[in-house]
Amino acid sequence: MIGLAIDSVLALGIVWLALQTVRSVSMLQAVLMFIVFGLLMSLAWARLHAPDLALAEAAIGAGITGALLLVTWRRLQADGHDPVDSELPAQSKWLTIPTACAAALLIVIVGWIALQLPAVPGTAGDLAWQRLGEIGVSNPVTGVLLGFRAYDTLMEMAVLLAAWLGARAVATTYRPGALPGPVHVEVPLVGALLSLVVPISILVAVYLLQAGGSAPGGAFQGGAVLAAGGVLLFLTGRLEAAPRTSGLERVGLILGIAVFSLMGLMVMATGGHMLALPGAWAIYLVETALLLSIALSLVLLFAAAPGLRRMS
Amino acid sequence: MSLADVIASLLLLSGCLFYVAGTVGLLRFPDVFARLHALTKADNLGLFLICTGLAVHSGSLRIAGLLLIVWLLGLLAATVSCYLIARRAVRSGQMEPPAMEPRS
Repeated sequence: MIGLAIDSVLALGIVWLALQTVRSVSMLQAVLMFIVFGLLMSLAWARLHAPDLALAEAAIGAGITGALLLVTWRRLQADGHDPVDSELPAQSKWLTIPTACAAALLIVIVGWIALQLPAVPGTAGDLAWQRLGEIGVSNPVTGVLLGFRAYDTLMEMAVLLAAWLGARAVATTYRPGALPGPVHVEVPLVGALLSLVVPISILVAVYLLQAGGSAPGGAFQGGAVLAAGGVLLFLTGRLEAAPRTSGLERVGLILGIAVFSLMGLMVMATGGHMLALPGAWAIYLVETALLLSIALSLVLLFAAAPGLRRMS
Repeated sequence: MSLADVIASLLLLSGCLFYVAGTVGLLRFPDVFARLHALTKADNLGLFLICTGLAVHSGSLRIAGLLLIVWLLGLLAATVSCYLIARRAVRSGQMEPPAMEPRS
């Protein structure tokens, strides 16, 4: 009964926040609504017994994406490009309401049909569940991501690299000092916060990676937590934008794809199937490389800079 | 319902009350400083009560220790963000700082 009440509040809250996100007159308000929307989505995943997704949604959906949207809003403002309602396209009531109703009806029909479908024995999920032991990890999510659907994970890393390259191509003009954000004056308390929070973010990232084998966690969640530490260092002026991507950063950006592909090819050379990782050690090795690449890509995306260096 | 459950429920409920009070303060108080005052103080205590309630409910020392870390990290983040927001409000000059002790 209480569970149903919580679920109803969550479901209504998510729909309401989604509405507010697209209907907000100010861009800042929309961004804030989107962040809260991500937090409620994370709770919804937790209620659906999907803690891996809840972690990923909180760390990436609400955390890093929210920070990216906020810093974008800040930059638009600093460029004298104040994004207020006047620039939003006018909404036509006669078009939006029927469209929204039709979309909702479609979702209800598809959901209803999906619920009516009889359970099919021997689906891919069942097979993966039965043969999870062969992968070498006991967390089914990690097993699927790196064992049964390794191609998808490899392609996700390629998408992340492509996203960074795309952002890099768009942000070609490097203007030192033109970017707002980093607090250049030394603020008391911030140093103390950093000296505690940055080591904790590293610890939590490594823990999430290690726990990913048997419990909720993994490279994506850990990478997002590590990236949060990096974002904090950038925001407080410990790291600053560099005009060039250093060699180490280039290696870091492609490390995930490189290690994953090399492992996959090595397996093929020894007679196995491509990307069929041989055991838990290979999974942890690949995940470590993925974590570093994910964290670095996210921090560089946030900084919108070719590279980072220590504040001089 | 055991005694531990009753204590845990009371702690959780009183924690929620502090959260409600803090949120009402955030919505109703007139300026940045009063709002920060309401929010950080009430929420820190609310988080403490909720963490304690959950620790009692779990009945496990390990989980109690983890919840203690959660509370301490929450305190740290709340303190520093409250300070930064108040500092920004004073610096931007939109807001008269509250009566402060003169610096010696």
